[in-house]
Amino acid sequence: MSRYDYYQPESLEEAFRLKKTIPDSVYISGGTELMVRINKKELHPRALISLRSIPDLCGVENGKKIRIGAMTSISDIKKNSLLYEKYPVLFQAAKELGGVQIRNVATIGGNLCNGSPAADLAPPLLALEAKVRLQSDQKSRELPLENFFLGPGETSLSPGEILTDILLEPPEKNTKTIFLKKGRTRMDLAVASVAVLIRTEGDRCLSARVAVGSAAPTPLRLFEVEALLEGATYSRELLTEAQQQASHSVSPITDVRSTADFRCHLVGVLVKRALEKLMDNEIGGGTRT
Amino acid sequence: MKKTITFTLNGTQIDVTADSHQSLLDLLRVSLRLTGTKEGCGEGECGACTVLVDGLAINACLYPAYEAAGKNVITIEGLTGKNNELSDIQQAFVDSGAIQCGFCTPGMILSAKALLDTHPDPSEEDIREALSGNLCRCTGYVQIIEAVKKAANRSKDKP
Amino acid sequence: MRDFFHIGKATPRPDGPDKAAGKAHYIHDYERPGMLYGKIKFSDHSHARIKHIDTSRAEKLPGVKAVITANNTPEIRFGFLRDNMALKKDKVRQYRDEVAAVAAIDPDIAAEAIDLIQVEYEPLPGVFTPHEAMKEGAPLIHESDPRGRPRSHNILPLKYHHESGDLDEGKRTAKHIVEGEFSTPLVQQCCMGTAGCIAEFDMNNNLTLWAKTQIPFLAQRDFNRVLSDMGLKEKNTRIIVPALGGAFGSGLDTHAYEYIAILLAFQTGHPIKIVYNRREEFANLSPRQSSRTRIIQGCDQNGKLTFRQVDVLQDNGAYTSWGATYPSVMLMPATSLYRVPHITFDAKLVYTNNTYCQAMRGYGNPELTWALESNMAELAERAGIDPFEFRMLNRNEPGEITPMGLKISTCGLKECLEAVSEKLDWKRGTKKGKNSGVGMASLIHVGGGGRIYRSDASGIILKLDDFGNVNVFYGGVEMGQGLHAVLIQSVAEALGVMPDKVFINPTDTGTCPWDVGTHASRGAFMAGNAAILAAEKLRSKIFELAEELFPAEVEKNLKKHQKKNPDYEPPDLDIANAAKRNRFDLQEGYIFIKDAPPEPWLRMDLGRLLRAAHFRPQGQMLTAEAFYDPPNESPDNEKGFGNLSATYAFGTQGAEVEVDIETGDVKILRMVAAHDVGKTLNPPGLKGQIYGALAQGVGYALYEELKSDKGKIQNPDFRDYKIPRTNEMDFPIELAFIETDDSFGPFGAKGVAEPGLVPTAPAIANAIYNAVGIRIRDLPITPEKVLAALKNKKMA
Repeated sequence: MSRYDYYQPESLEEAFRLKKTIPDSVYISGGTELMVRINKKELHPRALISLRSIPDLCGVENGKKIRIGAMTSISDIKKNSLLYEKYPVLFQAAKELGGVQIRNVATIGGNLCNGSPAADLAPPLLALEAKVRLQSDQKSRELPLENFFLGPGETSLSPGEILTDILLEPPEKNTKTIFLKKGRTRMDLAVASVAVLIRTEGDRCLSARVAVGSAAPTPLRLFEVEALLEGATYSRELLTEAQQQASHSVSPITDVRSTADFRCHLVGVLVKRALEKLMDNEIGGGTRT
Repeated sequence: MKKTITFTLNGTQIDVTADSHQSLLDLLRVSLRLTGTKEGCGEGECGACTVLVDGLAINACLYPAYEAAGKNVITIEGLTGKNNELSDIQQAFVDSGAIQCGFCTPGMILSAKALLDTHPDPSEEDIREALSGNLCRCTGYVQIIEAVKKAANRSKDKP
Repeated sequence: MRDFFHIGKATPRPDGPDKAAGKAHYIHDYERPGMLYGKIKFSDHSHARIKHIDTSRAEKLPGVKAVITANNTPEIRFGFLRDNMALKKDKVRQYRDEVAAVAAIDPDIAAEAIDLIQVEYEPLPGVFTPHEAMKEGAPLIHESDPRGRPRSHNILPLKYHHESGDLDEGKRTAKHIVEGEFSTPLVQQCCMGTAGCIAEFDMNNNLTLWAKTQIPFLAQRDFNRVLSDMGLKEKNTRIIVPALGGAFGSGLDTHAYEYIAILLAFQTGHPIKIVYNRREEFANLSPRQSSRTRIIQGCDQNGKLTFRQVDVLQDNGAYTSWGATYPSVMLMPATSLYRVPHITFDAKLVYTNNTYCQAMRGYGNPELTWALESNMAELAERAGIDPFEFRMLNRNEPGEITPMGLKISTCGLKECLEAVSEKLDWKRGTKKGKNSGVGMASLIHVGGGGRIYRSDASGIILKLDDFGNVNVFYGGVEMGQGLHAVLIQSVAEALGVMPDKVFINPTDTGTCPWDVGTHASRGAFMAGNAAILAAEKLRSKIFELAEELFPAEVEKNLKKHQKKNPDYEPPDLDIANAAKRNRFDLQEGYIFIKDAPPEPWLRMDLGRLLRAAHFRPQGQMLTAEAFYDPPNESPDNEKGFGNLSATYAFGTQGAEVEVDIETGDVKILRMVAAHDVGKTLNPPGLKGQIYGALAQGVGYALYEELKSDKGKIQNPDFRDYKIPRTNEMDFPIELAFIETDDSFGPFGAKGVAEPGLVPTAPAIANAIYNAVGIRIRDLPITPEKVLAALKNKKMA
């Protein structure tokens, strides 16, 4: 076991102060990633600053924007009726994240701050055009989520900054969303994942948001696919085009889990299937293979 | 650093001195010498270290000991009643052939307890989902799922 | 079928309640007074000269009590070819080689000390495939053999060969021939309880080892030899086996970490505990042997097999353990699964700088059956014959002797094939839907022990106490498979007592009679047969005593009974005359005279008899022992001949799968497992074995693979080494137990621990073929491979 000190501040101010004054200290939320990295000796912090006892970071609030506290656990996201009603895609993604034990302690903030391209909540939040609020002892700023991810394991957080909230616009009318994930087995890091949001009018797609995970250095919006779908009328040809465009828009790697080629292909298939499932009625008849 | 933390363990309030870098698993097994909770991987994948904290199943290997302060923790030792009586879930596991090497058993039972405490009449799908964080290499899970069903039914039959 | 009191019942496992309460104690939970914690430093090169090991900083760390390397300890060679050493001296040959070890007062300090040890290496070129290792000028893994004689190549001096009939004749008479090359990867046992031991010397320099082992007595022999090497001549090792968190073959060899624990225990004078964490387990414990098999089979125009040619190539890794003996087990399906008149089998093993391999459930049979049963399906198709009919046509029958000399007593293969065919609705076609289909595969495995060592015996001692309890001393190992339950049932049944009066003592070489080990699915078969033999002897002794003591005791009973029932008329029976040893029976703990009237006073509780025998002048107590050695032979591996087992288990499994042709996902819709078990001893126990093995078979088929890159394991954790969870085992599994009532088996039973995973992978692969027409020959069948195969098929 590595040795480290452990602090449990009860306010953001206290957390900032501790972070500033203790060298080699790291914020910890749920710990399901951080503790693994420490146990694997990939990280040797001198101190952990727990965010669990800071009330400001908890809670899901309705309002002009929907605010999700960064320390909301994945289980709580899954169980939250407001989120289920307004953003069912978050429920779908939360359901696919780990198993019960992980979901009970992992947090939405932690999931994003790890900066993993495989973060399960990232594609849905990107598709929902979420913003994140980052706070430090100096200032508070809001950032569109797509500007938050910089590279594998790298985020826009400055030293000492804490991601405190996720902010979502109220959903527009005629919006449908879906999250699809594929792993080697059911409980797995995504080999590839997609989240799709479409706004429709009859059989026409007014606008689309398409985001993928595990297919690039960061979770990624596929703007080219979105452009393809904007204003387009649904047809099988459109779906095939979207599939191909999606495959070509991503740059996954080959690693111990899968190959780049396979991931490219899989992203395309998942985008196509996502669109199929969302537009099941519109195209007429079942479209499942 | 060291600190004395207070929490409820298997129904009784205790004070224990813990190191800041200890996990709840280490606190239970080493400091408190409760070896029923097992370490299977130390990385939150196998669920052998599952305990309940405020009713929620968590992996004790990833749970900082200090976070247990003020909480209600239940380990496998807390399920056995007075006079060595096994709880319904434990007995159901024994009766259903759900135990082979037994290493995953405490964690499995606690995950099952977390489920049945909130979903007393679970579907098979519910059971599978609730136990999906617990690895077993011996049983193939079939008789484990039967055991949880049996435990649910027995509770239903009780007045 | 006979009627049994306890056999065939769901007798609960004696260890169940403790395990459910978290009170079973595994090596991880054990502590000894004064115990220190050992930890090992592993190499971080696959092939390198060790130039220098600097242990000075580790030695100075407070709390460290010993630091050892090959330089300050006697050389300990182990492995059946003696090519492995506990601590490596001049060079490392695999990424996981043990180069140093420490003992410290707690595990954290031990881990810190390991990091402080600095090793200077001079990397050497490595070879990572058998082909590379066999090339001209390839670096030698071992420059000399254990006797110091120089080696000139990397091929192991182990010969496996079988020839029966005339292969050329077989090829000539074949109308259809199919050839294929198949491979299986490195797979990990993934016991939930990792490897570990505690070594402790007493002041007489005798050693006790609490070991995670399946071979306590063979381990004792190994460690006694080591004690001798350490200068402790005539000293003894006692092996005690705690609850094991699974084993699956990983406990069939002795390991470097055990020898290291012994060295540290001796040096420090303290008990030493070494336990692997999960990462160490994945990266540093020997996994299942990988394989490459080339198989060619042919059949005549009617579908009768005419020949089978099998060539196996194995990557032996850097040292030799039981992986190198898989071909001895492969001989069994190669020569004896289905009837084939002309057969050749050859195996070659090559040293490389990859990890060396040990036993895992099935021990070569899953590897060979993967190739054989896939190839059978391909050949059936080539011949235009339905694969079920093809197998039925060539099936083994009871009473036959196979080309390897296996004497098939009972054989339920026909019934197993039929059960699977029926349950999968085979006759209505093997393609079930647009992308779904069914497939099947069969197996043969040892079911009556396996004489892979000079002895295949198991001893047992039954000791009766004053209360009619039976204390059993048996050297086989309970690792979760349910051995103890079956042993209790066997003793209860054979002796005539109630199961809750039977107590199994811990497995301990100091108290239990010799047992070769719990492998080859032999546990229940041996325990049962040994129990029957010993129980018979014990019954003799009991009835001898009864002849002497029964009349007087039942007289007392009668008097008591008459006092309570003054009008009672006892039957006309000369008890003294009737009470002859050959007229007694003992059932459910009561002794009575056979065919005497069933009066309650005319029977005696066993405990009462025993107390009467004990508490008198020249009293006596009863114990019986037996040493069961089954009627099997040690096969000659170079001739590929010998009746390895006393009886053989057969089986067939079937799968229905649906292939997602866009993602390459293979979804198992259902499985059927029909097994020739001889006799079901304990239904939930048997089901548990089959379900559990089947789950391992599914993992083997679809996703399990230890990925090794230049000898380094790339996925040493459960995150990236996937085994089935509840989600993956979400399909219905139908079981069929064919009870062939084998006369060699205890109560008719055969061993069934391993068969459950032998045919699983080919059954799934055959189903995939029938579903979408692609043939995968390299396990695991990943979506990537499925898609690639679908693409190739499309282009063709």
